[in-house]
Amino acid sequence: MSDAAHAHGHDDHGHHAHPTGIMRWLTTTNHKDIGSMYLWFALIMLFAAGSMALLIRAELFQPGMQLTHPDFFNQLTTMHGLIMIFGVIMPAFSGFANWQVPLMLGAPDMAFPRMNNWAFWILPVAGLLLMASFFLPGGAVAGGWTMYPPLFIQGGMSYDLTILAVHIMGLSSIMGSINIITTILNMRAPGLTLMKMPLFVWTWLITAYLLIATMPVLAGAVTMLLTDRNFGTHFFNAAGGGDPVMFQHIFWFFAHPEVYILILPAFGIVSQIIPTFARKPLFGYASMVYATASIAILSFIVWAHHMFTVGMPAAAQLFFMFSTMLIAVPTGVKVFNWVATMWKGSMTFETPMLFAIAFVCLFTIGGFSGLVLAIAPVDIQLHDTYYVVAHFHYVLVSGALFSIFAGIYYWLPKWCGHMYDETLGKWHFWLSVIGMNIVFFPMHFLGLAGMPRRIPDYALQFTEFNQIATVGAFIFGFSQLIFLWVVLKAIRGGEKATTKVWEGAEGLEWTVPSPAPYHTFETAPVIR
Amino acid sequence: MNEKRGNGKYLTAFLLALFALGLFLFTLFTGLS
Repeated sequence: MSDAAHAHGHDDHGHHAHPTGIMRWLTTTNHKDIGSMYLWFALIMLFAAGSMALLIRAELFQPGMQLTHPDFFNQLTTMHGLIMIFGVIMPAFSGFANWQVPLMLGAPDMAFPRMNNWAFWILPVAGLLLMASFFLPGGAVAGGWTMYPPLFIQGGMSYDLTILAVHIMGLSSIMGSINIITTILNMRAPGLTLMKMPLFVWTWLITAYLLIATMPVLAGAVTMLLTDRNFGTHFFNAAGGGDPVMFQHIFWFFAHPEVYILILPAFGIVSQIIPTFARKPLFGYASMVYATASIAILSFIVWAHHMFTVGMPAAAQLFFMFSTMLIAVPTGVKVFNWVATMWKGSMTFETPMLFAIAFVCLFTIGGFSGLVLAIAPVDIQLHDTYYVVAHFHYVLVSGALFSIFAGIYYWLPKWCGHMYDETLGKWHFWLSVIGMNIVFFPMHFLGLAGMPRRIPDYALQFTEFNQIATVGAFIFGFSQLIFLWVVLKAIRGGEKATTKVWEGAEGLEWTVPSPAPYHTFETAPVIR
Repeated sequence: MNEKRGNGKYLTAFLLALFALGLFLFTLFTGLS
């Protein structure tokens, strides 16, 4: 009743004459619309950056140069990394946050809906700048996603475009984070205390703080690159008294917390899914919250483990080695809690649960190879080899990306009102999990044998493992078309989803109808 | 209770934005030193 009165009041002001077509999407301030746009943007960029990965793997199928020029190969590796991080994983998690945080908190929308619109719409501009740089004289940036000087000071116009794109994406992330933190701190339904919040909301709260504490640092670093390139400063130019190593320190002070920005929301998604399909409450809720916060805090004091080969005092090596290893403790708490949640649960294995279980197993492999790399003397051997490539792809593909798939299968029925095709979902899962392991597991051996990363050609003894990896890459890559088909099919129709969707699901988002109405919780629910 | 949701949101957002701006400037000054 109050809803109707509310809607009527708005009609009087003429605000609710919804624009249609493209204007609806350009002007929308609705968290569900904006969430969907983030997710579609991420999916489009996934296919763009994934195509680059397939081109990289096709080139590496044989030693020698087959398909690409070495400089173009470097452009592909650089852009693959930049786009996957800033254009796929981060926007996808922002999409989940937009859809789910207000629904999980019983809030009518995000705290600042207009800023939310702006934070999204500057993102495709940044994406276009990055993609367009391929067509500039000299091609796209080729100095690696880490943007190290001196290469990044010497490159052509595309480097300036990339700096601008990074600035824009950083601004988008900062605005998004302010919105998310404010929504969580100020918009919760009455009675929903912080320690009653779903774990996905907790992980995003901590992630948003990480973003606010690191994105300005990246902005500062790339601003200095910009002035070094165009305005005659010498922040990082040794010839003018600057220090290129200082860039690495500033960059990794941003980029190591960034790694956790890419994985903490994944922890949140998995922590929602496992209890649902194990039909048990999450084991150790409070310890999960504290473990997440511990990982976030530790992420600020480990950055130089990326720089062991640059040179630093032995005491610094020891400090960064041990602080890095310390992160295994809260991460181990989390893995233990997920396993304990499943222990003696009434488990079923729908697609979201399959991806969540694969996440726990495979992310742990990535975590262990991270521990190996944390050992300073070992890292000096493995630095810039394929072992590192294997490590971070286990963390980011079977970690972050698999959690995104899991989350989409989990919440898609709530978003579009139809169940997805379970058979096709399982095909997508099995082809992805098999393909992913075929690509990245042999890379451990390549790295241990000494194959350097970011190299378009290699010595003959590395051929077999590279051929296996390439076959796996094409299996993994093309199986994502099944995912696209499953999503489109569910949006267009299918079995109607119930309000609760999953038998074991708990939380406010499962109390609204499926599909979730355009406006939800205009009247606040009261929690217990 | 409904109308109380969102109380204090401008202060929260202002403080967060101030922190972000301060950190950006601090990074630049680190570079200058």
